[in-house]
This record gives sequence, C-alpha cells and structure tokens, in this order.
Amino acid sequence: VQEKRARFEAQVMPHLDAAYRFARWLCRSSTESDDIVQEAFLRAFRGFDSFRGGDVKAWLLTIVRNCHATALQQQHRRATVPLPQEDHEEALRSAEPGASPDPESASAAEDERRTLDRLIAALPEEHREVLLLREMEDMSYREIAAVTQVPIGTVMSRLARARAALRGKWLEEAAGEPHAMR
Amino acid sequence: MQCAEALRVQAYFDGEVDAVSALEIERHAERCPECRALLEHLAATRARIRGELEFAAAPPQLRAAITRVLDEEVRGASRQRVPRVPLRPRPFWLGALGGVGAALAAGLALFLIIPALSEPVLNDLVSAHARSLMPEHLTDVVSTDRHTVKPWFAGHADVSPVVVDFADRGYRLVGGRADYFDQQRVAVVVYQHGPHIINVFTWVAGRRALPEFATRSGYHIACWKLGNLQYCAVSDTGWDELQGLVRLLRTSGEIDTPHRPGME
Repeated sequence: VQEKRARFEAQVMPHLDAAYRFARWLCRSSTESDDIVQEAFLRAFRGFDSFRGGDVKAWLLTIVRNCHATALQQQHRRATVPLPQEDHEEALRSAEPGASPDPESASAAEDERRTLDRLIAALPEEHREVLLLREMEDMSYREIAAVTQVPIGTVMSRLARARAALRGKWLEEAAGEPHAMR
Repeated sequence: MQCAEALRVQAYFDGEVDAVSALEIERHAERCPECRALLEHLAATRARIRGELEFAAAPPQLRAAITRVLDEEVRGASRQRVPRVPLRPRPFWLGALGGVGAALAAGLALFLIIPALSEPVLNDLVSAHARSLMPEHLTDVVSTDRHTVKPWFAGHADVSPVVVDFADRGYRLVGGRADYFDQQRVAVVVYQHGPHIINVFTWVAGRRALPEFATRSGYHIACWKLGNLQYCAVSDTGWDELQGLVRLLRTSGEIDTPHRPGME
C-alpha cells in the first residue's frame, strides 16, 4: 500500500494544480471546488490500481469532471428547499487572493484579466471546458475527448465555436472601450 | 460564412496534423484570406488566454487536506471523514471514444498524428527535470557566482549558456549541471524561485521546432532560441513566474550574446 501511495504521489500529485484550476472553472465557487478536488483525488487513489497507463492528467481530470457531475446531481436531488441563489462569480472573486481590497493595485492588467475571466465564464459549459483544457492545460484533442467523453470531431467543433464566440465578444468589448483590444 | 477547411486549419494550429497535411494546409492558407485571418485569430486568442488568465496553483491547505485524506485511506480509516458519493463504475475512461466517436475518429485519423514531432524532446526535458529533483541530482557545480558556473560548462557541455544571477528579482542562481540528450552534452543552469526549482536547458538548436509553451506531466516548459542555441526552461512554478525568468534571460542574452557556436 505504501508503494502504491508513493507511485500515486509521483504520478498523480503533480497534476493537483491542473485539477484545481479545472474544478474551479467547473464550479465557479472555491469551497465547492476544493471538495470536488479532494473527492476526486480519493477516487483516483482508489482506482489507481486499475489505471492502465496513458495520460495521467487526462485520467485525473476525467475523474474531477465526474465528481462535479455527481455533486450537481445530488444538489438537484436535495434541493427540495431552494438554496439561496448567491452570485457565484462574486463569491469567487472575493475569495481570490488577487482581488485584495487595495484599490491602488487594481491595475489595468488586473482589469483585463477579469474581463477575460468574465468572457470565458459566459461561454456555455461544454464550450468552456474544451477551450480551457486546450489552452490552459495544453491537452491534445484525443485527451480532451477522453475527459469530456465526446468524439474528437465534437471536440474540434466545440473548440472552434468557443474560440469564435470569445473572439466575437472580445471585439464587442473593444468597440465599447477603445483600449481593451490588443 | 466559413471556409470548409476551417477545422483542418484549427487542427494544424493545435499541432494535431502530420507533416504532409501541415504542408497542404499552409499552401491552402496562402491562397485563402479567410483561413489566414483564422490563423491570426487563433494565435491572438491563445496569446491572450495564456498571457492574461490566472494559472492558479492549488492552495497549500488543499494539498495538505488531500495528503491527510490519502494517509487516512492508506490506514483504512477514511470512512467517516469523506462523504460517501456513489461511484460510477470505471469503464467511462476506456469507453470515451466508443460508438459514433470511433467512426469519426477513424476518419480524422487520416490527418491527426499523436504525438507531435517535438514530443521526444519535451519528454526528455521533463524526465531530466524530474531526475534533477531527486536527492543529489540537482547540481554538479554549486555556486551563486556566474563567474564560477559559466567557466565550468566549458569542460562539461557542448555549449556555453547565458548564466546570470537574478537573486534581486527573485530568481536565485543555484548552480549548473550537464545532461545528455538529443545526442549532445546539454548545459543546465539551475535557478531557485521561492520553493521551486527551475532548470534552464541549453543546447545547439536542431532543425526540429519546439513549441513556445507546453505542459507535460504537470510541468510547464517554455522554449526559445537565441542565435543557434535552443533554450528551454522547465518547472512546476506557475506560468507567470516561469515567464518572468524567461524574459530576464532573453534580455540579458541579447545584451551580451555570450555564447560561442557549439563544438561539433
């Protein structure tokens, strides 16, 4: 068991940051995403013996995604009393260490990052996840297809649509504020 | 209104096509203004996402919590700590490309190749980086003085890399090391940034182009060329921190162009 633990540490733990980023984009709330990542690592550890090689990161992110889906289903099932509908995006921002209340540090770069955050957050989920896996996690089409459980052709068309949508919104914003475009 | 080649152009941009298709697509883009614009748009979008979006690292508390959960799991005592969630059976992973997907994938396989050509070098870099993190493997010459580290490479590597201590900017020079891959004695300059080690590899550039950014096994890799030398920085730091060192190295490399051509 200790040997399994050591192998897990060496092969899976390096992908914690990726799992965390992905979960945060899926949930849009940091407390929830922490729970999901934790649950995903436990599941990954339990299933590690049956992992037959291949890309560890794609395998791990698949589990993160499934944990998120399961958590969502349970929430829906439990929601006989509707939960207070909080503004997730706001919650995420205030939880970020970067969003400190120091108004002087609210630089232009920070503003741009927020704009981009918002544009990406506004994409439909199935487009957003494909885009992030490709651009942030640098995963291949085949790996993304495995994580999102759709054919490669679907990955390609979703990726194209996500990029086009982002471009469109980005141009719209630029039309509003002349300096936003680079 | 979009060119019928748009998805192939995108696959080319994402490094998912073989050399023959790449050539075809490049020729097509020369003639097709729409696809040329698409390529520009793809590059601009990527630059903006990679440059501006936060590559957040997992908070230490989360890392600690996971370690705790796994420790308990190993001891078989995790039952009350972790909420039971019914587990889906596992074939989702292998079945992901099933059915309709397989047919489509087969069609696409005509021009998709996996892995890309630059893959072996990237894998070598990551292996070398991981190896260096094992005890006693990090440095062959330990010094924070560039005038000690730089001459050391003359006898131990085929190139003389840029060596500068950026301690005042948060990147402390730790030492140097020689590695062997791509049929060369590669010079490695080791920096420390906070708790992270950054290995900067330098060797005589081959004809194979390396991607400017890549992530393999959780490590970020940034590659650039200066003269006839290929530089690659590898680390588990965030993108921004890695880019910070790359910028410093590029600037100082351009100022004193200190390298001599590799000895064949």
